[in-house]
Amino acid sequence: MAQPPPRHATMLSLSNSNSNSNSHSNLSSTTTISTPQTQTHLPTPSQSSTGLRVPSNRKTIYDRHLNRSRNAELSRASFAFLFGEMVTYAQRRVTGIQDLERRLNEQGYPLGLRLLDLLFYRTVTGSSSSSALSSSSSTSASPPNRPLRILPLLHLIHGPLWRLLFTRPADALEHSVSPDTPNEYMITDNDPLVNTYISVPKEMSMLNCAAFVAGIIEGVCDGCGFEAKVTAHNQPTEMWPSRTIFLLRFGESVMEREKVLERAGVK
Amino acid sequence: MSSTTKASRIGEELWKTRVDKVNAELVTLTYGTIVAQLCQDYDGNYQEVNKQLEKMGYNIGMRLIEDFLAKSNIGRCANFRETADMISKVGFRIFLNIAPTVTNWTSDNNQFSLVFDENPLADFVELPDDGRAQDELWFSNILCGVLRGALEMVQMQIEAHFVSDVLRGDDATEMRVSLVRYIEDEMPPEEE
Amino acid sequence: MTVFSLIIINKAGGLIYQREFQPGLRKLSTNDYLVLAGTFHGVHAITRTITPKLPLLTPTATASTPTSASSNLASPSGTSTPIPPTTTTTTTTTTTTTTTTTSVAATTYTYPIPGVPATGLESLETDKFRLTCFQTLTGTKFLLFTDPHMANIEVVMKKIYEFYADFVMKNPFYQLEMPVRCEAFDRNLNGWLRGRT
Repeated sequence: MAQPPPRHATMLSLSNSNSNSNSHSNLSSTTTISTPQTQTHLPTPSQSSTGLRVPSNRKTIYDRHLNRSRNAELSRASFAFLFGEMVTYAQRRVTGIQDLERRLNEQGYPLGLRLLDLLFYRTVTGSSSSSALSSSSSTSASPPNRPLRILPLLHLIHGPLWRLLFTRPADALEHSVSPDTPNEYMITDNDPLVNTYISVPKEMSMLNCAAFVAGIIEGVCDGCGFEAKVTAHNQPTEMWPSRTIFLLRFGESVMEREKVLERAGVK
Repeated sequence: MSSTTKASRIGEELWKTRVDKVNAELVTLTYGTIVAQLCQDYDGNYQEVNKQLEKMGYNIGMRLIEDFLAKSNIGRCANFRETADMISKVGFRIFLNIAPTVTNWTSDNNQFSLVFDENPLADFVELPDDGRAQDELWFSNILCGVLRGALEMVQMQIEAHFVSDVLRGDDATEMRVSLVRYIEDEMPPEEE
Repeated sequence: MTVFSLIIINKAGGLIYQREFQPGLRKLSTNDYLVLAGTFHGVHAITRTITPKLPLLTPTATASTPTSASSNLASPSGTSTPIPPTTTTTTTTTTTTTTTTTSVAATTYTYPIPGVPATGLESLETDKFRLTCFQTLTGTKFLLFTDPHMANIEVVMKKIYEFYADFVMKNPFYQLEMPVRCEAFDRNLNGWLRGRT
C-alpha cells in the first residue's frame, strides 16, 4: 500500500496564506502548490524575504514573548462561534458528510503542527511548564524529547496536547485488540469541547465535527514523523451523549520502524 | 464618562463571573486557520477574503448578540455613544477579553473609532510577505462583520471597516464604526 | 414550582419551538400552537402600540384605532417587531404606522426611545396557569406556561435564554428564524428544569 507523503512537507508558517494547502499533494509539486500567488504576484521588485513593514513601536511577533499567551484565556463562546462558522463555511463547499469531515480535518491539521512546536518549545524552556508534561508519559523528570516510538507519542497527545487545548487530559487511550489491525489506536474524549454546543441533525447522524480535532492529532503525528490517518467517531453513552473516539491508523512505514526500534531496544 | 466606567465595571464583572473560558491559543489558531483557508480558497484574492471574513462575522454577529444579551442582561442603549461603550467595554471584554479605546467621535455622534491595543485574533500572526497582503488584507475583518450583524439585530444599521492594522506595519489597529440609521418597523436591507 | 411548557416565537410571529415539561400534559394540536403563537404575537404588538403616550411635540397622540387592531389580530404573522423578515406583514405594518404616525408625523424617528420603551404584554394569568412572555431586544419571544403561584420566573426565563444562546445560537446546523431542532438544547433544558424541582 502506497503511503502518501507526510503532509507537513507542504506546511509553511501561519502567516502564509497557503499554510494548509492540499494535504495530499505530491511532494515534488510542493513549491508550486503551496505558494501559487507568490509565484504569480511577486512583481514588486524590492521585495526580499524581509519585505514586510513593521510598526515603529515594533509590535511584531518577534518582539513579543511566545509564552505571553500561554496562560491566557478567551471566551469559550468566541471559539464556539468561530468553529461554528468554520463548519458552516465548509458545509457550503462539500458534497457530503465524508467530504465535510475531510475538510474539517484539513483545517485542524496546521494547528497540530504548530501546537507540537509550541509544546516542545515550552517544555524545553520553561521549567514550570514541565508539570504539564511530566505526569503523563515520561518517567524521567527530564524534558521530553520528540517521541521515537508510538506509545510515547500517544501519551503526548493524550496528556500534554489535550491539556494545552482543552485544559484536561483525554479520557482513555487504547490499542486495537484485533490482530488484523495492530496499527490502530484509540483516544477517547467523553465530551469534546468542540461539540459542546453542536447538535448534528438526524439526517447527518454520522457526522462528528471533532474531525477538526482529528486533524489536529494528525498534524501532531505527522509533525513527529509518524504518518497517520486520524478520524473521529461517535460513541455516545447514556451519560456522555457526545462521547467521541479518535481512531489513529499509523502507516506501514511507521509500523515497520516500530519493529526495528523495538529490536534495537529504543523506548 | 460615567457610563463608560459603568460599562467597564459590567464588562469586568461578567468576564470574571459569567464567561466560560478556553485556552486563548486555541481561539487564535482556529481563527488563523480560517483566514488561511479563505486565502487558499480565494486564491490569494485578498479583497475577496476581506469580504468573506466580513460575511462570516456578520453571520456570527447575528447569533452572538443573543449570547451578549443573555449574559449581560443589558437593556437598550439610550444613544449611540452608550452603544459604543457597550461594544468596547462589555462586548469585546466578554468575547475577547479586551476593551478597545473608543475615540475620534464625529460632531454628530454618529461615527467613532475603536483603537485596539491588543488583538488576540492576531497573536502569532505575520502577514504573507508577498508584496500584497500588507496592502490588501484586513486580517481581523471578521470583527467588522460581527459588529454589523450584532447591531442589526438590535435595530441599528452600521458600517464598520478597518483603517489601520499593526499587521500592516501601522502603529495602531483602528476600526471605524458609523451609524447609518436606526431600523424602525420596516423591511431590513436584503442580506445573505 | 411547576413549569408546564415553553413556546418560542420568532421575530415574524412564527412558532419555532414548543415543549411540555410535565409528563402526560395534554397537548394542543400543532395548528393550535401555531395559531396561539401568531395570536399572541399580534396581541403583544397591539398592547405595545396602545401604550398610552404623552404628547411630545404634537398634541395628537392617540391610541390605535379598533379597525386596524382587529386586522392585526387576524394575521398570525402580524408584527410590530423592528425587523419583520418577510413581506407577509403588510396588515400590521399598517397598524403600526397608523399608531406611530400620530406622534411621528411632526417629529422624525425617535426609535429606540430614550428611557424605557414600551414592552407589550408581559404576563397573562388565569386561576390555573400563568403565561409569562419575555421578549429579547432582538424580537424573539419566550412564552413560559407555569403554575400561577410560581415565584422567580425571571430566573427560569433568564436561564432558558442562556440555553438558547448556547445550544441554539452556537449550533452551526441551526438556521436563524427556523424551527429549533437542537437535541442538546432539549437535553440541557430538560435536565436543568428537572434539577430545580
